[in-house]
Amino acid sequence: MNTIPYGKTSKQLVLVLSFILYAFLTTAHGQESWRTDFDETCARTTDAMSLSNNELKVLIAKCDQLQTIIEKQEETVRKVFLKRLQMCKNLYVYVLESKSASEKTPK
Amino acid sequence: MKKISCVLLFLLIGASITWAAGTKKRKLPPYEFGSVTINNYSQQSGMPPVVFDHWIHRQYYTCRLCHVDVGFGMSAGATKIRAADNIKGYFCGTCHNGRTTHNKKAVFDSCAKEYSREAYNSRCVKCHEIEKSTLKEDQFFKFAQNLPKERFGNGINWEKAESEGLIKPIDQLEGVSINKAKLKIQPDFALKSKVEGMPEIIFSHKKHTVWNGCELCHPEIFMGIKRGATKYTMIELFEGKYCGVCHDKVAFPQSDCQRCHTKAVQ
Ligand code: HEC
Ligand code: HEC
Ligand code: HEC
Ligand code: HEC
Ligand code: HEC
Ligand code: HEC
Repeated sequence: MNTIPYGKTSKQLVLVLSFILYAFLTTAHGQESWRTDFDETCARTTDAMSLSNNELKVLIAKCDQLQTIIEKQEETVRKVFLKRLQMCKNLYVYVLESKSASEKTPK
Repeated sequence: MKKISCVLLFLLIGASITWAAGTKKRKLPPYEFGSVTINNYSQQSGMPPVVFDHWIHRQYYTCRLCHVDVGFGMSAGATKIRAADNIKGYFCGTCHNGRTTHNKKAVFDSCAKEYSREAYNSRCVKCHEIEKSTLKEDQFFKFAQNLPKERFGNGINWEKAESEGLIKPIDQLEGVSINKAKLKIQPDFALKSKVEGMPEIIFSHKKHTVWNGCELCHPEIFMGIKRGATKYTMIELFEGKYCGVCHDKVAFPQSDCQRCHTKAVQ
């Protein structure tokens, strides 16, 4: 007869379960947080012209960070959000260039 | 005297440009203007091609909502929409999911892997159009009859329809759109034509931004960082560049010269 070391298994079980729970929570949270980051980062396309050059540079850097995260998502999310991110980042770059150019040539 | 010669010049150039660029294009009936056929994958998997009508959708939603927030590209087929994307709730499936409501009715669902013959006939073929439906034509004329008229395009003056409150396109979709900072508009300006005597163009940055959002135009369509530095030619516009990305395909067409060349020559 094999006696099952009950105590040990249940400890392992708890460990495994909590690991699964942890993994689940972090991925769920991870998803949430990049979406929130995306929303925050791209919320300024409506008033981009009133941002300072520095603020624009920070936003552009955040877009680059987000890109590496979004590239790891599943196919459809990647397709949709890389496009949205690209439009938002490119506008910030455009506005930065436009503002820098007009600063250089005094009217 | 000066005025007359300007008008003559305008007409002459107009005639030659329309002749040069317009011969390829046929004039569409008003209900087909702004219709897009999407067929990257349908036919190859045994489904009829998809027909998307702008007139049906732009009465309810702004261009910005679909082309910025939902992420549709600005030329036919560019988005590479897959049935799987729609099923997951993106692209057409953002709204066509059998759950989102519109006028208190659920908007019909989009693609599916498994479906009955009945579902095929009642649902799939609404988008995967087997043949042109006369029902849609009738719906168009019923819809258009109460709206301000225009000579070209859909035969509808969409701008007026909106400013008179006859249509109220929504700009935000819960869970899809971002809560953006308050819109800060760019000044409107006049574009001087490089041909002496052509009426100037008044371009409303304000109106266009409300409809489209800055990021739809900059830098994808307009990359010039200094206003007036790039000279656009009418030929380029007719080829579908710059203003021609929208005007001719969905917004009023370029045959309507005076709607853009409005400002009298000084
Ligand atoms: C959607 C707006 C729009 C419409 C409609 C339009 N134009 Fe233009 N047109 C422009 C813009 C923008 C320019 C470029 C101005 C610049 O930057 O020089 C231009 C430039 C021109 C020029 C001078 C440059 C060139 O092409 O050599 C002519 C001539 C002209 N348009 C004629 C016409 C005629 C004729 C029609 C009607 C068949 C027409 N346009 C309709 C927007 C429009
Ligand atoms: C309900 C969503 C929706 C709305 C609202 C909408 N569009 Fe579109 N538009 C689309 C889709 C979908 C396509 C096709 C994209 C594809 O095939 O990849 C498209 C394509 C286009 C094209 C390319 C057409 C062609 O024949 O190549 C233009 C231009 C365009 N839209 C402009 C506009 C403008 C301007 C507005 C506002 C007046 C607007 N759209 C409103 C969904 C929309
Ligand atoms: C932003 C929301 C939205 C998106 C995105 C959208 N639609 Fe629609 N569509 C609607 C609404 C709302 C109606 C009107 C529904 C009704 O009358 O039941 C409609 C109606 C239609 C109709 C008319 C059906 C009929 O015969 O009455 C067709 C066809 C259609 N859509 C195709 C498409 C296709 C194809 C796409 C994607 C390329 C798409 N739509 C994307 C909201 C949307
Ligand atoms: C709201 C509009 C809409 C409805 C309704 C709809 N589809 Fe689609 N479907 C699309 C669009 C848009 C595409 C992309 C078209 C293309 O590029 O060929 C597509 C593509 C497809 C494809 C191509 C394969 C692939 O991997 O993309 C299949 C198969 C398909 N749909 C099946 C169905 C079936 C079956 C139904 C009915 C149960 C249905 N669709 C209803 C919009 C719709
Ligand atoms: C429908 C397209 C469209 C939209 C939407 C739009 N623009 Fe423009 N914008 C233009 C055109 C056209 C020019 C003139 C470009 C040229 O002459 O080469 C321009 C010029 C500019 C310039 C150049 C600098 C100058 O002299 O004005 C800036 C900066 C600019 N836009 C920012 C914005 C911002 C910010 C928004 C949103 C609030 C916006 N634009 C929305 C079409 C658009
Ligand atoms: C991103 C799409 C888009 C681009 C690019 C665009 N337009 Fe428009 N425009 C629209 C829409 C949508 C309307 C609303 C009327 C309609 O749909 O017929 C409109 C309306 C207009 C009007 C009538 C409203 C008014 O301001 O009096 C003029 C004039 C005009 N556009 C000129 C231009 C010129 C000139 C350019 C290029 C410098 C241009 N547009 C580029 C989408 C666009």
